[in-house]
Amino acid sequence: MNLRIVGIDFLFSVRSWFRSRGTVFWSLLFPVMLILLFGAIFSGMGDSTYTLYVQDLDNTDMSQSFIEILNSTGILNIKNVTTNENITDYIKENNIKNLIVIPQGYESDVTRSYVDLTTHVNLTYYFDPSEQQTNQVLRSVISSVLQGLNMQLSQGRTVVGLNEQSTVTENFGFIDFFIPGMIGFTIMQQSIYGSIERNTKFRKDGILRKLLTTPITRSEWILAKMLFMLFLAFISTSVAIGVGVLAFGIKVNINLLTITIIIATSFLFSGIGMIIGRFVKEEETADMAAGAISFPMMFLAGTFFAVESMPTIIQIIAHVLPLYYVNEGLRNAMIYMNQSEALLNTGIVLVFAAIFFIVGVLLTKWKED
Amino acid sequence: MVVTCASCQTKGRLTIPGEQQNGTHAIEVSHLKKVYDDLIAVNDISFVVKKGEIFAFLGPNGAGKTTTVEMIESIRTPTAGAIKLLGIDTKTGFNQIKERISILPQEFHSFERFTVRETLIYFSKLYKKRADIDEILDAMDLQSHEKKLYRNLSGGLKQRVGVALSLVNDPDIVFLDEPTTGLDPKARREVWQVIANLRNKGKTVFLTTHYMEEAEHLADHIAIIHKGKIIAEGSLQELLNKYGEKTTLYIKNCHSEEARQLLVDKGFEVHSSGNGDLTVKIDYKEKVLEVLSELRHEAIEYDGLDIRGSNLEEVFLRLTGARLMEEVEP
Repeated sequence: MNLRIVGIDFLFSVRSWFRSRGTVFWSLLFPVMLILLFGAIFSGMGDSTYTLYVQDLDNTDMSQSFIEILNSTGILNIKNVTTNENITDYIKENNIKNLIVIPQGYESDVTRSYVDLTTHVNLTYYFDPSEQQTNQVLRSVISSVLQGLNMQLSQGRTVVGLNEQSTVTENFGFIDFFIPGMIGFTIMQQSIYGSIERNTKFRKDGILRKLLTTPITRSEWILAKMLFMLFLAFISTSVAIGVGVLAFGIKVNINLLTITIIIATSFLFSGIGMIIGRFVKEEETADMAAGAISFPMMFLAGTFFAVESMPTIIQIIAHVLPLYYVNEGLRNAMIYMNQSEALLNTGIVLVFAAIFFIVGVLLTKWKED
Repeated sequence: MVVTCASCQTKGRLTIPGEQQNGTHAIEVSHLKKVYDDLIAVNDISFVVKKGEIFAFLGPNGAGKTTTVEMIESIRTPTAGAIKLLGIDTKTGFNQIKERISILPQEFHSFERFTVRETLIYFSKLYKKRADIDEILDAMDLQSHEKKLYRNLSGGLKQRVGVALSLVNDPDIVFLDEPTTGLDPKARREVWQVIANLRNKGKTVFLTTHYMEEAEHLADHIAIIHKGKIIAEGSLQELLNKYGEKTTLYIKNCHSEEARQLLVDKGFEVHSSGNGDLTVKIDYKEKVLEVLSELRHEAIEYDGLDIRGSNLEEVFLRLTGARLMEEVEP
């Protein structure tokens, strides 16, 4: 083995790699981003709080004391709901995921339990069954607080209990949460990578130069490709829904909002792909750039895990990511039938789509400099 | 057409649409210039290409060939200058002539997952005027490969498909940018045959190449570009006559002083070497017969003859002081 040649090859490889600043940037930044993001999500780094709404119908010293105990855990972000609110309507209108109700007579029942050992009082905990991870944490916190309280009140006998009630009329599971997320994610991947291939590989291969001298216009080409992307989007949506229905028995509602979100999502992420393809000319680097954008977005935008279960800073980030509104919109339109929320999500996705697609089209050019 | 104004008697030229298309020039390039920051890639070049000829645009890598051809094809925007294709100004009327031209870009690779036939069909369907796909496959000897995926073809076959693609709209002008780069000699000669057939069909071919023998073999007219400027232009013979060395005739083992004097008297430039060989510089290859006739007439004996003619490589060397293949991208 000629080690001199091996050494020369190694040095030239390093030099070649170093000259591609884009590759260096994405090679280094991408893993760093992932390490930081996933570290923040799964290592408890940062401010890991969960929002819990509380309606105190008793409004006594004892009920306030219970709320203070919940607050003192440092995990819960307590938000009070006024006593005049109809709790069912409130949950529906505000898309509340977790809420606890302290019933009227709480203090008196607890006081009576000192003399009447059969007396007990139940709090009602409303939860969104699709957000299993959040529920798990909240249940654990509330149970611990109640256990400590019961130990203090009656040496362990259950004086204060917990009734659980779903926030939705139907019992949704994780698969109901997951399928719309996967649809959004799949369309995102197809659109970004398809767009990048058209704008980097086809440019490198001379196909765009060839097309420039043929009668087809840039607008026609983009339109044709968007139709193809929509075709792929509907195919993948159908497959995902088909699997969900046949294998897991989920109930899906295909309506105008669902279709609108799917179309807008294709345009949105194709636009992002065009923008990437405009600034990152090399195909390999562009793929890495797409990965650096789409991969973290997949986790941060609530594709697999509920955004509410993530640290506050991540939740703030999620709310500026277009995929978050795609996922939420699809869930509300297809599964939860929360049409007012779905309409809002659809509007936001449409605005994102218009901005990114128009910018993408304006930046995409076939002519060489 | 020159017309006179009825009221003021001013004379002017009236251009009727399509009038210039009947001219003899397929391509007219005038004072074309392309500047990138402080680099002048193409520096004020002008030339014309006649209809039906193969025009070779010859130059080393980085000379400005591709920049020039891409400006003519409207892929790049010129910094200055004017281009007419079939009499139409490309700045304003490029869309009008898209149907009548076709290009093979440098290092072209088509859609990988299309078959050869699908590739031809795809591009042909972009045009209103379409050539017969079977005829193109036949002409390019691609029938046996028509069902193969493009990505599975050899380099030579891919280039043949590329040239075939430039025929799908039965164009008047075909631009081929380095069509044989990277091909082995056999594949290169196959592509040459295809290009020669284009001329036989009356097509105008604009061929950019850095292969001397390609230009020598195919071109009716050659322009040599070097550092962004055209340094020589003409037919092969014109270039050789104007810039090439004279043809040298080596008369081997001819120890006759009589022969040397005879040829000197006839006006030839003759040198004797120590081993008895005579070298005779001649202007045209036809003069070789005259020399041989004189030797035969005087019954002068010799062992053999060797003729070494000039070529484009020598022309380029003489004009630039460098060999063509030594040049590199700036």
